Amino acid sequence: MSSLRIFFSSAIFSFRAQFGWLNPPMWLTMKFALGLSQMAFFVFVGQFITKDPNLTHFIAIGNALQSVSWNTVFSVINITNHDKWEGTLPLLLATPANRLPLFIGRAMLHVLDGMLSVAISLVFAAFIFGVNFANTDLLALTVAVVLTAFTMAGFGLLIGGFSFYFRDPMIIANIFTFILLIFCGVNFEVSQLPEPLRPISQAFPLTYGIWAARDHKRELIDRNLSTVR
Amino acid sequence: MPPQMLRVVYSAFRLAMLHWIADPQWVIPNIIAPFVFTVVALTLFKSDVTGQFGLYAVLGGGMMGMWGNTLYSSGFAIEFEKWQGTLEEVLAAPSNLMHVIAGRSVSNALFGLTNMVAILLIASLGFGISLGIANPILFAVSLVLTLLSVSALGLIFASAFVLSRSAQVFTNGLEFPIYVISGSMFPIWLLPFWVHPASYILGPTWGIEAIRIAAGQEKGFLGFWENIGIMVLITVVYLAIATVLFKLVEKKARRDGSLVEA
Repeated sequence: MSSLRIFFSSAIFSFRAQFGWLNPPMWLTMKFALGLSQMAFFVFVGQFITKDPNLTHFIAIGNALQSVSWNTVFSVINITNHDKWEGTLPLLLATPANRLPLFIGRAMLHVLDGMLSVAISLVFAAFIFGVNFANTDLLALTVAVVLTAFTMAGFGLLIGGFSFYFRDPMIIANIFTFILLIFCGVNFEVSQLPEPLRPISQAFPLTYGIWAARDHKRELIDRNLSTVR
Repeated sequence: MPPQMLRVVYSAFRLAMLHWIADPQWVIPNIIAPFVFTVVALTLFKSDVTGQFGLYAVLGGGMMGMWGNTLYSSGFAIEFEKWQGTLEEVLAAPSNLMHVIAGRSVSNALFGLTNMVAILLIASLGFGISLGIANPILFAVSLVLTLLSVSALGLIFASAFVLSRSAQVFTNGLEFPIYVISGSMFPIWLLPFWVHPASYILGPTWGIEAIRIAAGQEKGFLGFWENIGIMVLITVVYLAIATVLFKLVEKKARRDGSLVEA
């Protein structure tokens, strides 16, 4: 019961703290600008090689799912960083509260925020880059998004735990957010990676999340993307 | 340029260099994105990595590193001063704030060049690309002028960052749109036509085109010097806008006392 209370109070405080320093218009602007511009960047890079809509859809869906990592990896790893800068870390560690529900509770805001990022990015994918969701199993896609958000937050907490001992966790957060673009099949199939690197992909929940999300659109995405192999 | 202004710019430049030497890990967040983007692009371009596509990826990645670092220097340097509690002193000093930020911007854009070296290494060792520069002198000229143009653009954003508590978030959000709009890694004709005016008012759009022409693997719609001329013109306009904005923002910050609380 006590753990539940800690979990909820941490989640609520985390939400209040976030909007204490980030005003909602700025938050919304960043949410729309970041998701769209990252997706657009890779879609245009892909279109530079070929105008094949299959590749455009492949990249758009991959980046839509990857947008969850900005919240669940970057922000979650940075939780302890914020405490260090604000000077609240010693107080936090001095409390008798169980650390596990405390930090999981604080990550929950980012899980919800991450799901919202994916939803917005999927809207961009549909209306700007022409991804057709008519034959998509929306329930299965929702399950894939929700599970990806939760599992990636777990991954973020894991890395956050390690980076706790570093002076600037933000550096670790940057590295782990961006390398997902290489290893998780966001813009190209994992099979395109050099063979020795492929097992690394299996360590990231995002790889499976993206695969699951795309699996419902396999009829639209030609597996034989010969131009990118 | 008056010697006093040069001294301020040089001092800020030197201080930023010393900061970097004292804590070099800070370069990582600014070069990791362009580095990863280049690796992804090179993997996508695998079918023609040694041709035009490879050139776009490598030069674009280097350019993005410069931009990321410059924007960081504008946004994060002010945040850094706020954290250290030194922003009031910097603003209270008789030196012009814009000159201080300009020195930092140039030094950080220069650090961004380290990203170009890292990208050249990965392109050469990982993807077998050998980037033969057709005209090294023009290449160096275009690189330096683009660096200055990127720094001038950073100054415009810096003025807004003085008042914003969310400068760092803003920095992250601005980085990607500029990569897209300036056509850093693909030709801008791929962008929707309504985006083109935004591309044309960005100095880096013309700079990267000049860099590609100097590298010798692209002819371009305009010649090398035409691209450079337009970029210089745009840079002068940036500097004029930045000067006005810095005066306005500084005046507002002093009047409202909104500098540290903002």
